[in-house]
Amino acid sequence: MADWSVEMVRDTGGADALADVLSQLAAEGSPLVHAFVGTRGLTLVVPSRHGHHPEEVAVGAGPFSRPTRAGHELFGGLEHNLPPSIWRHASRRRPVRGRGLHLMPLGPVRGDVSESLAYQLVVLGDEIHHVRLRAGYKRRHVVQAMAGAEIDAALLVAERVTGTSPVAHALAFSEAAEEAQGRAVSGDDRRARVVLAELERITSHVGDLALLAASTGTVAAAADWLRIKERLLRYQAELTGHRYLRGVVAPGGLHHPLSGSLGDLGALLKAIAGQVRDIAGALERTNSYLDRLHNAGRLPVHADGAVYWTGFVGKSAGLRRDWRWDRPYAGYQGITAQMLPVSLDRPDAYGRARVRLEEIQQSVALVERMLASEAPAARKMRSAGRAGVGYGLVEAPRGRLCYRLELEGGRVHAASVTTASQLNWPAVPLALEQHNILQDFPIIDASFSLAVAALDL
Amino acid sequence: MFYKRWLIHYLQRPAVTSFPRGADGAAPAHAPQDVAPDKLFRQSLALRQLDGGSCNGCEAEIQLLGSPVYDLSRFGFTLSPSPRHADLLLVTGVVTEALVPVIHATYEAMPEPRLVVAVGACATEDGGVFRGMPGAVGRLDGVVPVAARIPGCPPTPNDLLAGLLAAVGRPAALAAEAR
Repeated sequence: MADWSVEMVRDTGGADALADVLSQLAAEGSPLVHAFVGTRGLTLVVPSRHGHHPEEVAVGAGPFSRPTRAGHELFGGLEHNLPPSIWRHASRRRPVRGRGLHLMPLGPVRGDVSESLAYQLVVLGDEIHHVRLRAGYKRRHVVQAMAGAEIDAALLVAERVTGTSPVAHALAFSEAAEEAQGRAVSGDDRRARVVLAELERITSHVGDLALLAASTGTVAAAADWLRIKERLLRYQAELTGHRYLRGVVAPGGLHHPLSGSLGDLGALLKAIAGQVRDIAGALERTNSYLDRLHNAGRLPVHADGAVYWTGFVGKSAGLRRDWRWDRPYAGYQGITAQMLPVSLDRPDAYGRARVRLEEIQQSVALVERMLASEAPAARKMRSAGRAGVGYGLVEAPRGRLCYRLELEGGRVHAASVTTASQLNWPAVPLALEQHNILQDFPIIDASFSLAVAALDL
Repeated sequence: MFYKRWLIHYLQRPAVTSFPRGADGAAPAHAPQDVAPDKLFRQSLALRQLDGGSCNGCEAEIQLLGSPVYDLSRFGFTLSPSPRHADLLLVTGVVTEALVPVIHATYEAMPEPRLVVAVGACATEDGGVFRGMPGAVGRLDGVVPVAARIPGCPPTPNDLLAGLLAAVGRPAALAAEAR
């Protein structure tokens, strides 16, 4: 079960200790929450079996004396810290050799509007045989920018890790900071946070579905999705003053109260849920769309090792992993009852699109419940696990997001971030290698729609 | 589905925004708007976007330019998949050192005359919140000649449209000014 992950880690050399820990975790079925490299070497974070706080397991400094390398290799063997001068040569080196195999470099400038990431596709005729990702072009050193900064300044950086999911990042950051400082959050703020997070999820999913529709050439559907997205963005601008909801969530509650009222949100979301159903129904009758999605980029489920797939990638493979249920935060405690995370047994492009469609309806239902229910009670101060250390575990639109902050006197002493895209990117080459042809590539790429910005932190 | 859509569009006007008259953001695009368009860029213009280390926010807004709400093709703009067919390069992000040779190569691949427009707070304001980070060059000006800047974090599609129209207003003079 854990073969894939362990093999990947072994490539880094002398990492048997880590491999043992990972395979043990996989055998126990406990998800790896987070891994970070600090002064004590590599530390894995696993959920506690008893208390609320996650446990930290130090793997030791020995084999991981080159921290960044080990840290990144853990998250998928992607090549980071690429020297800038060798990008041309790097893209010419063939990872697999053989008669009739051709290397097709793609990127870092690729697609119509896309982020910088280089693919190396080894093809035999049309069939994709082997894929390597080359990331690291756009590292902005997010963690370094946060360390040593004041909390407000660090929050600005957190909101710009991925520009399309700033609420999730601000929320994870705030939850971590609140836990570290033992700050309480009022019930109304917790309710507003849930509404904002779900709005962001709906907007993000609609945008992903637009990209997927565009990649299959169903232009009318893509236009319809984008119109819904624009409607949501304009509502968000009215509600908070920013189209992508930046600058709203802050440690201790909200940075400023919402400028619009949540009163008409129910009606808007109901209308949007109806439109989503209409477009999805029309696409469900469009063979040119379905034929491109069915079985495209099917993930081999056995590859899901100790580093778990998360978000819609995991959910489409039948893995119900969602922190809104597993470890409720903000105001999710009361509203997720009698609902389960979306889960399908269909790890292909169609399944990933389907999970997004169902999650949109689920988010609308969650917001309706939140608006109808009483404001949740103010969260009591948690007894901090270790003084000045806090975790923020949040279900971002693309999956699990984890922040670990060490605060010292109003400043961020150290920070580490694990994003959903870091966990899910290793699934993309795997999905591409399953007897797909080059014409499937844009569709599989769009069916994941992972953020490169969240990989190159 | 087609006839239903046709009927709806016939009965009510399609939801397309009007010509961008003012900027949405606090700061307007840094280019004069009161000059006659240069003959070179009057009929059609192919855009190529290049991510120089952005947070994906600018890309999300540039993608929305193609939506029916903004429909940049009304103004003669198209998005080009290849720099070899592009007249105008939109660069977003903090401009990382690893991407400087990529930006150079992309710029060199574009046929003359060509324009570069810096998009977003990172590319226009020395890297924004990532100012001074290792590997972040911050300024696009030293890498390639910049004709116009569209600030905003991220700039709204309306600001992008206004900025693009301003950028093609007087490319030669602006490019000289930027140098």
